This record gives sequence, C-alpha cells and structure tokens, in this order.
Amino acid sequence: MSGWISNFMNHPATYLKAGWIQISVSNLIVILLMLSIFVLAILLPFPNKHSDEDAK
Amino acid sequence: MSKVLSPKEEFDAKPWAGKLRKYDILKEGTIALVVVALLVTSLAFIFGSPDEKSLTFKGWAISNSDNFYATTVQELAGTSGTATYGRPYNTNGDGLNVGPLFLQKWAGVTQRINAANDFVIEPLMNQVQSPEVKAALSQWSTATETQRTKWATTYDDAITKVEGKLSAVPNGDYGPVPALANGLTEMAKAGALDAALLSQGGFFQTDSTKQILFFGDGAYLDDAGTAANLQGGTWGMMNETGRYPGQAWLWLYSFWYQIPPFTNEDSHPIGANADVYIMVIMGLMSLGLIAMPLIPGIRSLPMRIPIHRGIWRSYYQSEGIKRRKR
Repeated sequence: MSGWISNFMNHPATYLKAGWIQISVSNLIVILLMLSIFVLAILLPFPNKHSDEDAK
Repeated sequence: MSKVLSPKEEFDAKPWAGKLRKYDILKEGTIALVVVALLVTSLAFIFGSPDEKSLTFKGWAISNSDNFYATTVQELAGTSGTATYGRPYNTNGDGLNVGPLFLQKWAGVTQRINAANDFVIEPLMNQVQSPEVKAALSQWSTATETQRTKWATTYDDAITKVEGKLSAVPNGDYGPVPALANGLTEMAKAGALDAALLSQGGFFQTDSTKQILFFGDGAYLDDAGTAANLQGGTWGMMNETGRYPGQAWLWLYSFWYQIPPFTNEDSHPIGANADVYIMVIMGLMSLGLIAMPLIPGIRSLPMRIPIHRGIWRSYYQSEGIKRRKR
C-alpha cells in the first residue's frame, strides 16, 4: 500500500520514556481509546425502547 | 430420602421472581460481528500493514561483512547460539530450566540442525565454487571431526581476541576455515545464500527456521530488533515496527522482562532462565484468574468495587436495592 498514511505509519515510532517504563505513542493512543470505550460503556445509558414490563 | 437443603441452597434453588427483560443474544452477536468487521476492514484499508524491508543474508553480508564472516566461523566451530542451543535442534546444551526441571529436554530433538553442515558446508557444496573454496571443502570433508573442531575453534578464538576485527587476526593454523568463511560471505553478498537456505527441504518452502537461527547467531537481526524497539528489555513484546500499535495486551508478560532479576541474563538461576520463569509466573497468574471465584477476598471484590451496579444502575434504582453493608 502506498500513500501518505502508509508512509507516515512506516516511519520509526515515537516512544515516551519514564525510567524503565517505555511506551510508543501508538500503543498509548490505543490503550486510552480502549479505556475511554470501557468508561463510555459503563456511563452511557442502555437504549430503553421497551419497558422492563414488556417481557413479563 | 431427599437431601436437606441449607438456607443458601434453598434460596439459590428458588425460581427468579424479579423483573424479566427481553434479550436477543443472536441479534447482539450479529451486530457486534458486523460492526467489528466493518471497523477492521476500514482501518486496514486506511492504514495498511507494516511494510518493513526484508532482512536478507545479502543485506547482512554487505552491511556488516566482518560480522557475517565471524558468525560463519562460529557455526563451523560449534560455538554459535544455534550450535550450543540444545533441544529441539541438537544435544549440545541443557536448555532452560526451572530448578531440576529441564523443559527443553522433555521435547527432545525434533528438528535436528547441524550448524556447520546446514548453514555453511551444504550451501557451499550446492553452488559452483571457485577452485580455492572447492579445495577448502574437500580438505574439510576429508578431515577428522577433531581436526575440524581444532581449526575452527582456533580461528574463532583468534577473531574473538581481536574483537571481530578480521584484519588484525594473526596468522595461524586455521586449515580451510578462512577459505570456507570467505566463500560463504561472497556467496551471501551475491544473494545466493538466501536462495540456497530457502531451497532446503522442498519445492514449496515455508519453513524459515534455519534462516532465522543463522540470523540470530550474528548481530544483524539483533541490531534490526534494537533499531525497531523490539528488544524484550525495552517492552519490545508490545511493539510493532513503524508507527503501528503493537500487542498492548502483552504488557504484563512484557513487564517482567523490565525488572531484576529477569533483566540480568548472567544471573543464575532466574535471570539466565528468565523466559521459562516468566512463563511459569504467567501460568500461575492465569490459574489465579481462573480460580478467582474461589479466592477469599478477591471473590468479594465486586462488592467493594461495584462496577456492575453502575452498569445496571436503572435496575438497582427501580428495585431500590441498596449496597450491602460489609
């Protein structure tokens, strides 16, 4: 695959380092996205088209 | 005679008397599958996949000729990582162990590799060679095992003594080893070694074990791993080449490689056997995860951290169920 996105992605990554902890910016973004989706899944209300009583 | 139930068993056996909610698991599963498939296809279309330049013996021999040459000598001397690895390739090493348990030995030799023959002699013999290399091959094949080892280890020691600087190696009785190493280096530079190693074993070749082991014995693969941040000591297990995200879920497995004593390969018994000790630790932790409902304290965590009450908050509110006091 060619194009600027592919060129950008195939360049050496940027790493954040603090002591012996090291993480790539890409991994950090993915982890933050996963955590955000987890928090949203808890906080967002269930779609409530039918009342609980419908099933009875 | 019917069994007398305890109050808890009696409570558990009662039919559900609370509210019911319609739930179509097939519908939810189908929606999830379609959404994930669309996401994966779109992201793959937009971002593509890592497109790292291949590592080849040609690239190694051209970019670091001395290292390739010195590694070839190690293969002939039987001092390389592969030659001394032990099972499943040979019996020249004990392999990793946890106390008295030598796990590699259990598997036995399942893919026999003779480093000198498979990496050096056979590829040279399978190509048309110069008279000098032909003579060296003939001298090698007619010599005794003891004589071969003596030539190769003497030369290997001499190269190690001058820290790999080939021009500084003093003259000595190295037999055909310099000519063989030179022949293989020239063969690799021309690109013929890549083809020769790949063609071992059949028409359709998918087994790259030998190439990877030979690469691993030298500095070429190691340097490429370091440059791409893929070394175990720098969380490499989690990383991918380029700017692509890697296997973030392996953070815990990777974590152990960052702390002592696992960071020191020379410390015995743990550091030197880090791979197997970490495998055991992760195995025990996985067992702990499976046994979570049985571990006092851990099994009551949902009562202390009631995330489920947040998810099903409308149910708890409508039913007026308060948190149990502990």
